[in-house]
Amino acid sequence: MIEVVDLVKRHGVHEVLRGVSLTISRGEVAVIIGASGSGKSTFLRCLNGLERFQSGSIAIDGIRLDEKSRSGDWSRLQREICRRVGMVFQSFNLFPHRTALENVMEGPVYVLGLPAAQAEERARRLLDRVGMSDKLHALPRQLSGGQQQRVAIARALAMEPRAILFDEPTSALDPRMTAEVLAVMTDLAGDGLTMVVVTHAMQFARRVAQTVHVFGEGRIIESGPPSQIFDEPHQEATRSLLSAVAAA
Amino acid sequence: MEGGGPYAYPDPTSPHGLAGFEVELMDRLAKELGAAPVFSQGQWDKLLQVLDSGRIDLVINGYEWTEPRGRDYLATRPYYVYQLQLIVPRGSPIRSWADLKKSRPGGGRFRVGVLVASAGDTFATEQGGPHVEVVRFDGATDAMTAVQNGQYDATLQDLPAAHFYRNRFPGLELVGPRESHGYYVIYVRKQDRALRDALDRCLAKLIDSGELRRLYEKYGIWTDAQNELATIPGPLELAPGAQGVRGWALLRQYRSYLLQAAFVTLALSVISMPLAMALGLVIAVGRLYAPRSVQMLLQGYVELIRGTPLMLQLFVLFYLLKLPPWVAGISGLAINYSAYEAEIYRAGLQAIPTGQMEAALALGMSRRLALRRVIIPQAVRIVIPPVTNDFIALFKDTSVCSVITLVELTKQYSILANSTGGAIEFALAAAALYMMMSVPLSWFSRWSERRFDTGGMKGGAAA
Repeated sequence: MIEVVDLVKRHGVHEVLRGVSLTISRGEVAVIIGASGSGKSTFLRCLNGLERFQSGSIAIDGIRLDEKSRSGDWSRLQREICRRVGMVFQSFNLFPHRTALENVMEGPVYVLGLPAAQAEERARRLLDRVGMSDKLHALPRQLSGGQQQRVAIARALAMEPRAILFDEPTSALDPRMTAEVLAVMTDLAGDGLTMVVVTHAMQFARRVAQTVHVFGEGRIIESGPPSQIFDEPHQEATRSLLSAVAAA
Repeated sequence: MEGGGPYAYPDPTSPHGLAGFEVELMDRLAKELGAAPVFSQGQWDKLLQVLDSGRIDLVINGYEWTEPRGRDYLATRPYYVYQLQLIVPRGSPIRSWADLKKSRPGGGRFRVGVLVASAGDTFATEQGGPHVEVVRFDGATDAMTAVQNGQYDATLQDLPAAHFYRNRFPGLELVGPRESHGYYVIYVRKQDRALRDALDRCLAKLIDSGELRRLYEKYGIWTDAQNELATIPGPLELAPGAQGVRGWALLRQYRSYLLQAAFVTLALSVISMPLAMALGLVIAVGRLYAPRSVQMLLQGYVELIRGTPLMLQLFVLFYLLKLPPWVAGISGLAINYSAYEAEIYRAGLQAIPTGQMEAALALGMSRRLALRRVIIPQAVRIVIPPVTNDFIALFKDTSVCSVITLVELTKQYSILANSTGGAIEFALAAAALYMMMSVPLSWFSRWSERRFDTGGMKGGAAA
């Protein structure tokens, strides 16, 4: 489903990603953990083309992006990828001038060209699924952070994506709202959606992930099932990261 | 006084840097009075208002004797008998003023340029008839330039100016018999009767001694008609009992002129502002999202347009590109304001958090669609107050279009104030009309701010 080979990304002289390779199969839930600045968010934003990279390649659902893609091709390929792969942001990024329902309808109507009635029916169903059916006509500013994030997940689902990328989806939320959002995400994982999740929520990773990738200084330090990563990490760096998280 | 030969014009070799028959005449009068003249520059059709303000003591600059002026100011005896000279492009079928009474070959009306509020203006307006459209310029040579450019059919000028400039405009020729007949006089304030009497005595002396004739011959403007000067016994005064119309009655009398000019002002602004806004949006989006080379080009455009005065831009469009006045006025305002709108929009677009563009792209939108559906609708609300501000500014800047002959509200005010002497009445009326048009704009702005109010960026800026 997703295959990344030797990805290198530089900001000026600073190397953010120093050759990252990984594979994620269909229906897999992959969790990425790592200290801040380890490059995990940048990696996620490279996956759907929001960030360009200097070398390496990404293949998603048969679409291949590499450093040789010209800028015209790049934006076309990036649009193709984004139609198939949704994204959920740390800061939600709902459209503040549109209601919850309109936020969810926006992609289907204007990107997929669905008739409004059909898009609305889909949006109502998805908002119901994330427990937001009583706030259809609320503007984002009238919603709590957890509610906004659930609308944002519905917005991503409305494109019927093959995969969704989650960029620290609960980092801006308090524990109660975090629980709401993680419940929705656990539910999605149970349905077999391919998910790539950058998070600090270790309990969620342990329960839901098939694979955990540990990022450090622009590289993958260690990959494996949660039992290996959390209970018997092979790398010293993984151990110190986990104890730092536990202490926090 | 405002330039223009042979009356008073820059001359680096003379003591005050000015030459002209009026300058020399004034030097002689001042010598008689035992004073030294100080010449000061003002827009020609506003000189009497400068006189009112007390910054100058007299006006001597081809100012004709008219009844409305006679009511408000004291005049001396005439110092020159003027006539009007018709000037046309060389080889024009128009050979005299009488030809302008016939219908114009090729349809439309003859367009005749005049110096605003001059005797030529009055004559052409009164004697023009159905086939003549009078176009008012701020300077005598502006009108000649436009006729030589082929933008207008003819210009009617005071004889001295026509003779003085004939060599500078080789594409023009003087045709037909001289029209009209009137007097240049010196005006002073009503309370300065002693000054007026002294000037008048000195003038009489210069006329009797033949010194005035020698001066005019030096400038080539002595005509047989000048012999009449010696037959006028004293200062020109109104016939007793001549009473001016003032106050409401004056405004009622000229109501249609004011309303028509207000309409011109309104039309100029409501047509040019949407154009400026549309153009500004294209420029702002280009400056943010276009390739680097296009961005540089657009930045250059903004700097060029913002860095040069509107009046100069109008001159270029009108005199160099020879656009018709309405086209030049509307496009000039639109181009000038597009640069300001572009900067406002750029600020508005940049105020939208980058997460919004990313969220739109992540939904598979193209940049163009993301701008249209997500970014611009949010930026609109931010820019409403500054754009309204600019609309009101543009609305008042329409008055600059008077330099390319459009008679909008400010121009009409100055024409009416000058020809009737009702400066205060017309100033208040023009101000009231401006307010009546600009205040609803502010209401509209506040209404649209409320309509677009979505709480701004609170939803997108939580992180």
